[in-house]
Amino acid sequence: MSELSSARTWSVYVLLGWRNLWLHPLRTFLTASALAVGIAALMFLSAMDDGWMQQIKTNFALTVTGHVQIHARGFERTQRLRLHIHDPSALMPLIRAQDGVKEVVRRVRASGLASSANANAGALVFGVEPVPEARMSRLSGFLVSGTWLSPDAKHEVLLGDGLADRLQVGLGDKIVLMAATPDGEIASEVFRVRGLLHSGVLDIDDLFAIAPLSTVQQWLGLGRGVTDIVIRVSNDDQVTPVWSRLRDILPGDSYEVMRWSDIDPMAEQWAQFADVYTWIILLIVIVVVLAEVLNTMLMSMHERVREFGLMMALGARAGHLFVMVLWETVVLVGLGALAGFALGGGLVFWFGREGIDLSRFAVAFSFMYMDPVVYPRLEWSSMARIFGASMMGALVAGVLPALRAARLVPARALREI
Amino acid sequence: MALIHAHRLCKTYPSGSTRVVALDDVSFDVEQGDFVVLAGRSGSGKTTLLNMLGALDRPDSGALRVAGMDLLSMGEAERASFRLWHIGFVFQAYNLIRVLTARENVAYVLQLQGKPSRQRLQTADAWLAEVGLEGMGDRRPDQMSGGQQQRVAVARALAMSPSLVLADEPTANLDTHTGGELIRLMRRINERNGTTFVIASHDPAVIDAARTLIVMRDGRIEQTACRD
Repeated sequence: MSELSSARTWSVYVLLGWRNLWLHPLRTFLTASALAVGIAALMFLSAMDDGWMQQIKTNFALTVTGHVQIHARGFERTQRLRLHIHDPSALMPLIRAQDGVKEVVRRVRASGLASSANANAGALVFGVEPVPEARMSRLSGFLVSGTWLSPDAKHEVLLGDGLADRLQVGLGDKIVLMAATPDGEIASEVFRVRGLLHSGVLDIDDLFAIAPLSTVQQWLGLGRGVTDIVIRVSNDDQVTPVWSRLRDILPGDSYEVMRWSDIDPMAEQWAQFADVYTWIILLIVIVVVLAEVLNTMLMSMHERVREFGLMMALGARAGHLFVMVLWETVVLVGLGALAGFALGGGLVFWFGREGIDLSRFAVAFSFMYMDPVVYPRLEWSSMARIFGASMMGALVAGVLPALRAARLVPARALREI
Repeated sequence: MALIHAHRLCKTYPSGSTRVVALDDVSFDVEQGDFVVLAGRSGSGKTTLLNMLGALDRPDSGALRVAGMDLLSMGEAERASFRLWHIGFVFQAYNLIRVLTARENVAYVLQLQGKPSRQRLQTADAWLAEVGLEGMGDRRPDQMSGGQQQRVAVARALAMSPSLVLADEPTANLDTHTGGELIRLMRRINERNGTTFVIASHDPAVIDAARTLIVMRDGRIEQTACRD
């Protein structure tokens, strides 16, 4: 068995495998090129997907929800105003002191009814701190007319343009907002429309009424109470660590600490769906391209049956031939993969800087929390997935010809011409 | 003890609905250092017998010992190992691995044996010089003539110090002059080194060189003759 285990023995098959690939350079080039184009396309597709998903996650989190929210226990499920944080002032410095926290704001969130002189409509009332909220969320960026809430605003309100249409109001018009207080009493307050928002997200455009926090607290009898403490972290990687630390710090029987994906799993599910979709595309492309590799390897094997017989006559074992043919396949796929990664990497790098302008689909994109310009970005995990799938495919495509080579009977193989 | 002891070897091959008898009750012994030529027309069973001796094929029945080893009781891995360490092969054509140079072709078997790089290259160069191909070690098979390729095959067969060299029609694809040179080379090595050769051929020049001549016909040994 010594000759099997010797590295010297195996090294000749590595050399043979490499040189055999260049016996037919055009065939090798064409096969590797097909692989390269397939892998480059996969890379680009994956990078588009990663870019989109990153946009969706970021935009989704920062549109309204924030990365992490703290509520009084049970509020998110019941949406009852009675379950509010009575005095957040003690919590705010504690939260701001956490590593990775970029911004913290307080809000009051309540379902209510908006009325104008002409119409009524359901509304989702948000009481916000005007200045920090503009840093916290993307809401201020959705203004299409008027201006954002002033720092000392009292009875100003920003409406989604859909809601404004239903109420038949415009800038400067008065509306009345009605909502239930924590005690269940109905309270109302008069506001003047200061601005209109258009986000492309139906919930925002058709329901949102954003008013100053202090006014909403007073109107709904909350005192200094809030329903949400909303946290923006410095980057996506900080979401779970910050969430985890706050869960440890805050008493669980009084507070609930939730990540954006816990509050609304939609974006996360989009990401998961896109992931599955990418896997399916990856599988199809890999199968098609590797069928080409299999064909090439079977042709190559068929041409060399006598040579394999000669090698077996000289003392090569079935395992040697198996590894040699498998190695050839892996090298062929490796070459194609390298070229594909270079080509795909170049495309991703270029478009990652320049962006791909898809603004003609802007309406659909905004509905999906996407920007009209997409910047492909390739995650290491995506590259590893493509490379791993290629190599796994190479092994699968290589096994059949390798097995055929290994199962040759020397005397019969030597008779082949 | 004889280097080869073949006793009542039989072999048939399927051919359509019938079976063709390739070897029919073949028995013979070959002594160490002999230069044996298996002669006979095409289809007489020469190549089949050579394949048996080289552990490339198995008889249906009979007994066969080569270099003291019972070839019929060996598994495939043992037979591969036996070929690697004991048998040097020279075939009629397509003898060399196309993508390796002459030197690498000779060194290939030594590499399979696990010999270190320097030793196998020195041995390869020495044997290439021995067969008259000094300075041609870097040539690929497609850069060499048929006679040169056969010489490389002889060098490869001898470089691993085999117990036995088996050659199947080694001169069949060569012109008379080149074929004559090749067979004289083999004979010279046999006489000088005592290497045992068994050559299947119907080339008169090869038959003339035989020390022991075994004539085969229809799978049987028709005649055996010793020249010494």
